[in-house]
Amino acid sequence: MKGFKPSAPFLLLLPAMIVLAAVVVVPLLLSLYSSFTPFRLTKPETFYVFIGIRNYLSILSNTDFWWAFGRTVLLLTIALNLEMLLGLGLAMLVEKATRGQRILRTLMMFPMMFSPILVGFQFKFMFNDNIGLVNNALQSLGITQDAIPWLIQGHLAFIAISIAEIWSSTAIFAILILAGLLAMPKEPIEAARVDGCTPWQTFRYVTWPFVMPFAYIAMTIRSLDVARAYDIVKIMTDGGPAGRTELLWTLVARTAYSDGRMGMANAMAYFSILLSIAFTVYFFNKLAAARTQIGAEW
Amino acid sequence: MDENSSARLKRRLLGIIYRIGLFLAMLTICLPGLWIVISSLRPTVEIMAKPPVWVPQEISLDAYVAMFSGIGKGGIPVIEYFRNSLIISVTSTIIAVAIGMAGGYAFARYRFRGKSSVFLGLMLTRTVPGIALSLPLFFLYVRLGIIDTHFGLILAYVALNVPFTIWLIDGFFRQVPKDLAEAAQIDGCTRWQAFWQVEFPLAGPGIASAAIFAFLTCWNEFALASQLTRSVSAKTLPVGLLDYTAEFTIDWRGMCALAVVMIIPALTLTYIVQKHLVGGLTSGAVKG
Repeated sequence: MKGFKPSAPFLLLLPAMIVLAAVVVVPLLLSLYSSFTPFRLTKPETFYVFIGIRNYLSILSNTDFWWAFGRTVLLLTIALNLEMLLGLGLAMLVEKATRGQRILRTLMMFPMMFSPILVGFQFKFMFNDNIGLVNNALQSLGITQDAIPWLIQGHLAFIAISIAEIWSSTAIFAILILAGLLAMPKEPIEAARVDGCTPWQTFRYVTWPFVMPFAYIAMTIRSLDVARAYDIVKIMTDGGPAGRTELLWTLVARTAYSDGRMGMANAMAYFSILLSIAFTVYFFNKLAAARTQIGAEW
Repeated sequence: MDENSSARLKRRLLGIIYRIGLFLAMLTICLPGLWIVISSLRPTVEIMAKPPVWVPQEISLDAYVAMFSGIGKGGIPVIEYFRNSLIISVTSTIIAVAIGMAGGYAFARYRFRGKSSVFLGLMLTRTVPGIALSLPLFFLYVRLGIIDTHFGLILAYVALNVPFTIWLIDGFFRQVPKDLAEAAQIDGCTRWQAFWQVEFPLAGPGIASAAIFAFLTCWNEFALASQLTRSVSAKTLPVGLLDYTAEFTIDWRGMCALAVVMIIPALTLTYIVQKHLVGGLTSGAVKG
């Protein structure tokens, strides 16, 4: 090691690297290995049996898994798009407010403070078919006589979960987009108006390109922990009824801890990891592209 | 009607629509939380009533009293959970911020090869879903004998928080002009002194909000905690919340009360840091 002089940034980043290697990278390598074994919690000796890619092959032909996979992608697509739209709307509403903007901004952040597990529980309470706020309101208003089985019927449960997910995460978009709107110089908008743009055109060609990088920041942050939806689903339906709201993550947890099939669960987990990485890399690139497109420094 | 007054009418109408829209949006945001608070103060009979009782008839703090009076009366050991949550969150936050400060400073002040790929690599470790990470960690922790301990969870949470802390702190250091530290160095400070006496105080509020953000992540984490803890000695509040659910019945009122206890620290802390948080996220991210 003589003559090797580590550079300052390397030394500064070393602790972070060590912790992440110890707690994330090495365990993931371990789980990669065990995804090639028939490892079961109840039979420790199976950890040393190598079966190649048989776990992956059986996943490929497992319809439950593909349903869960498709459902997860669907949930993320619906949730992220709606969150972006609603967040944009909310940010513009708040930006327009002339008075009490500070308090509005604080209120807007309210859902961010709820941990996903609380969000799940709270919506489980509200969507309860017997005593929930939603059904009580619908019945009191005379819209429906029967109790709607929100969390018991497959499609309704999926909708309820999506609503919970959207409620909890719209705030992140709203806040960052609002930051973008507030940071935006006013002259281009005035210039557009003078040049005879309609409000829609002003928004589409002036405001939106400016705000877009902020929306992508929000997307990137969100994609860092999309798996938070696990907490919500775990509480609200736990994958039920009859697996109709099973997401990738709840399926992994069930396979690993309820069935004890660790090898198989690790193989599944790798799909979920790849999915998360794909989301993050995609938005990271979008962010970089949006940044160069507007070419601004702020 | 002449043009003037019709334009005025239209304007007023738009104003009213805008107000209603804003009101509805804020109602949707706040109602679920308010409902939890109200439910925690009502007797169970009222929560269960059919047809529903909309206006609370009696308000009491029974649920809170029951919760803090220990096992047997309240059902679950909230005080222990609260203590675990606090110890684990505070310790892992301090460590994560120390590591994050070093890393963030490296990203903000040095140029080195592969900088952006290192940054992306760090972020990618954060994307690993908690439940996927819990599988190998569970196995390792059982082998090492640190399952169901504070130490195990602290270690996991430090790793969970480091990437995002680096992102935030990187952003805050970028906001401090480079010239200031350079001026201090010209005046005879070492780089180390310049950091502590010039850059650190200026980035201080930002670092504090990064710390609070890390704290909240630990405070709220569930997927890892639910698998890596087993007993009262290490369970955190989010895991403890599940104690209120039995197979078919749920003590809604007790759960609501515990939810309020969980949310109050989060609410206060977020309120304090909201401004810095947004600034750190955007400046750090925009310049990557």
